[in-house]
Amino acid sequence: MTAAGRRSLLASMLLTALSLVTYLFLYAPIIVLVALSFNRSRLSASWGGFTLDWYAKAASNPAILSSLRNSLIVAFATTVIASVAATAGALAFHRHRFRQRGLLEGLITIPTVAPEIVLATSMLLLFASAGLRLGFLTIILSHVAFTLSYAFVVVKARIAGFDHSLEEAAMDLGAGPVTTFFKVTLPAILPAVMAAALLVFALSIDDYVVTSFVAGVGATTLPLQIYSMVKSGISPEINAVSTVLLAATALLLFAAFLFEQGRSARTAALPALFGLALLGSPFVLAGPGTAGSQKVLNLYIWSNYIAPETIAKFEARHGVKVQVDLYDSNEALLAKLQAGNAGYDIIVPSDYSVQVLIAQHLLQPLDHSALPNMRNLDPGFLDRSYDHGNRYSVPYFWGTTGIAYDRTKVAAPVDSWSALWDPRYAGRVLMLDDAREAFGAALKLRGRSHNSTDPRLLEAARDDLLRQKALVRAYNSTNFEDVLLSGDVWLAQGWNGQFAKAMDENPNLVYVIPKEGSTLFIDNLAIPSDARNRELAHAFIDFTMEPEIAAEICRTMKYSSPNQAAWPLLPEAVRKHTAVFPPKEVLQRLELLEDLGDTTVLYDRLWTEVKSGR
Amino acid sequence: MKASARQGWLLLLPALVMLVALFYLPQLLMFVVSLGRRSAYGTVVQDVSAGNYARAFEPLYLMVLGRSLVLATATTVLCLLIGYPVAWWLARRVAPKWRNALLVLVILPFWTSFLVRMYAWIVLLRSDGVVNAGLVAIGLPQVELLYNDFAVLLGQVYGELPFMMIPLYLSLEKLDPGLLEAAADLGAGFRESFRRVVVPQTMPGIVAGCVLVFIPSLGAYLAPDLLGGGRTAYIGNLIQSQFVVARDMPFGAALSFVLSLVVGLLLLLLRRSLQSAQSV
Repeated sequence: MTAAGRRSLLASMLLTALSLVTYLFLYAPIIVLVALSFNRSRLSASWGGFTLDWYAKAASNPAILSSLRNSLIVAFATTVIASVAATAGALAFHRHRFRQRGLLEGLITIPTVAPEIVLATSMLLLFASAGLRLGFLTIILSHVAFTLSYAFVVVKARIAGFDHSLEEAAMDLGAGPVTTFFKVTLPAILPAVMAAALLVFALSIDDYVVTSFVAGVGATTLPLQIYSMVKSGISPEINAVSTVLLAATALLLFAAFLFEQGRSARTAALPALFGLALLGSPFVLAGPGTAGSQKVLNLYIWSNYIAPETIAKFEARHGVKVQVDLYDSNEALLAKLQAGNAGYDIIVPSDYSVQVLIAQHLLQPLDHSALPNMRNLDPGFLDRSYDHGNRYSVPYFWGTTGIAYDRTKVAAPVDSWSALWDPRYAGRVLMLDDAREAFGAALKLRGRSHNSTDPRLLEAARDDLLRQKALVRAYNSTNFEDVLLSGDVWLAQGWNGQFAKAMDENPNLVYVIPKEGSTLFIDNLAIPSDARNRELAHAFIDFTMEPEIAAEICRTMKYSSPNQAAWPLLPEAVRKHTAVFPPKEVLQRLELLEDLGDTTVLYDRLWTEVKSGR
Repeated sequence: MKASARQGWLLLLPALVMLVALFYLPQLLMFVVSLGRRSAYGTVVQDVSAGNYARAFEPLYLMVLGRSLVLATATTVLCLLIGYPVAWWLARRVAPKWRNALLVLVILPFWTSFLVRMYAWIVLLRSDGVVNAGLVAIGLPQVELLYNDFAVLLGQVYGELPFMMIPLYLSLEKLDPGLLEAAADLGAGFRESFRRVVVPQTMPGIVAGCVLVFIPSLGAYLAPDLLGGGRTAYIGNLIQSQFVVARDMPFGAALSFVLSLVVGLLLLLLRRSLQSAQSV
């Protein structure tokens, strides 16, 4: 072999190797994702043995199934509309040299520039001012708006330089424009159209930001479901669902591949049918949507805040259907209620959001005579500053912010926020990625309230946080319990609910509420001012305060219940759990976060300074 | 040609109408919002003031924008360096019957949640993670791969690579092998023909890929938060937090228009330099 030949062989081998490594790079997380769907442990930090439980759980979880079904509907509709419009648009540029070519091209490609969150809020503004009810239609319209440009860029890159004379030749030979399109043009650009469609589908089925703003009653998609689980920990059921979706797609592609290779339709039919059956399964398993004549109660709630069996009991008792939709932040809830037309009958805002909602007249006053079970609640959680006399809200769950640490790694017992500033733990500290909580810790350490608005105090707290940054491994308010369990950090600031689940996995974890005090949060049931089923909403709120029901909710969800009549009905393990029910004397040291009005902007600026510091 | 003009406009119409109604109109509403200010309760008080724009140009926020530009540039360059040879392999080395299947395999991972895939990367990269276990098993020391700039860049390249590879593949697959043979016959070496034939011929793909990677990279926030440990503020996180944490919609809107302006200028520069390159 000549030297040049050897060199080109070497180059070709290198090229193949690089390509294989790239595919491995793309699939490495997919392998992990699939493996975790078979993991007995619900947390990714440890391997608890092989199980198929998560598949069974997902298959019987109506919330997950209907969200997958909704996502498939949205993604298919978006893909069809966006790819057709984008292909037509790209062809237009090929067929005709517009005088305003640059301008028009710019008009179509510019939307890729706008950050998703801006698209999301602007879209919500549009739908709100048009008085359009949020739902499937609004989701599909917004998805088309942000995927169209991507599809256009992809198709256009292919068409550029496509030989126009081929089309002309076909026309000269007597083919009509339609025949020419299907016989000449489409085959030449088909790979690009297919690629664009696949991209659009991927963008649509995984979109969270835009969807979270424009989704309405009965239109919770899979990403909304997943993100709403962040607060309580994403369960491997999601991995199971993702694996099924991947398997279904792979089977369909395999069928298409067989068909393309000229195998008989019968050979290709088997994988195709399998794939379609898998894709169709959420449509069958999720059961019927809301029946036409039945009365429907629209519940907008955090994920893992109420068990399906509890919902079923209420439905059976009142002969109604409860439509559950999920959200993952108070701010998304506020944005949607402020825009109006949301259509929810019951929402679950946290303390400070109740304050904001009341101030904007977005809540209805409650009729206490329809809520006799309010007497079951611990008076300690009633009549708080955000809603005096509970005129608009009743507490549903409560929780705390604290420190969890691994006692095998942290030598001395932790009882103060100062542990998070201790140089012995450099690189082993995790702070919540949340301005109010991070500043809260710094302020409490200085013996101040975490509702301080004094700029000088806040600047001092910023300096403390900047000093602390050298010790902080990560700021994280999503899966912080997982980072602690994996051993990457030894101490973590975080919320009790997620830590409680982590402590069940690793008995060496300890949860403490620092002696300087910390945050108490209370999530409340409330009725929006534009709710339609006022009576049914009251019935539901009262239902959740019945001792047996409240105990069931607390037992299944493992958050702290404010219902003292339910406490004796709880199993020992829940009642004695230090993270779920901290000792009474600790509660005295807790303080609610208040909405700080204009100072919110200062917090955001100072937090950006902390994040920008080295 | 009148007929061609009418046909062109007709074909373009659906896309234009949808974008005007669903993108430009809402953006106009947003621009009006950006001139207002935040009320104490986080709603918008309408006003006509450039105050939010003045604030967006403060050094603190310019620094954040600058860092985002660096990250987006690095992501684009890396995606191009990895994506081009792989797209070349796919389009010119792989037997035609496998090509479509392998191309689809590039996109398939993106049909699952990016958030869940980021969590999977954490499992791979953390101190006791899969990669480190592999390193230790072959006698190498453990390395910290997570919660640093490396992890952010890795997450970004991972998330954007298909957007680079697809347009590159589509333009490489179309490349006429005859052109390369002609170049070789004329005595051009590989380097010469690559520079003078392949690159110009695949320029539409390169431009499309770079645009599709660079622009979304500017708005990145998930990889910096999850893989980078939220240790650095990028413009994506900053804008995000204006809307969902600070509830300061007017400032968030102003920041996003500043970002769009910067991107618009960069695209214009790119266009200019491409045109002048073509006219040489």
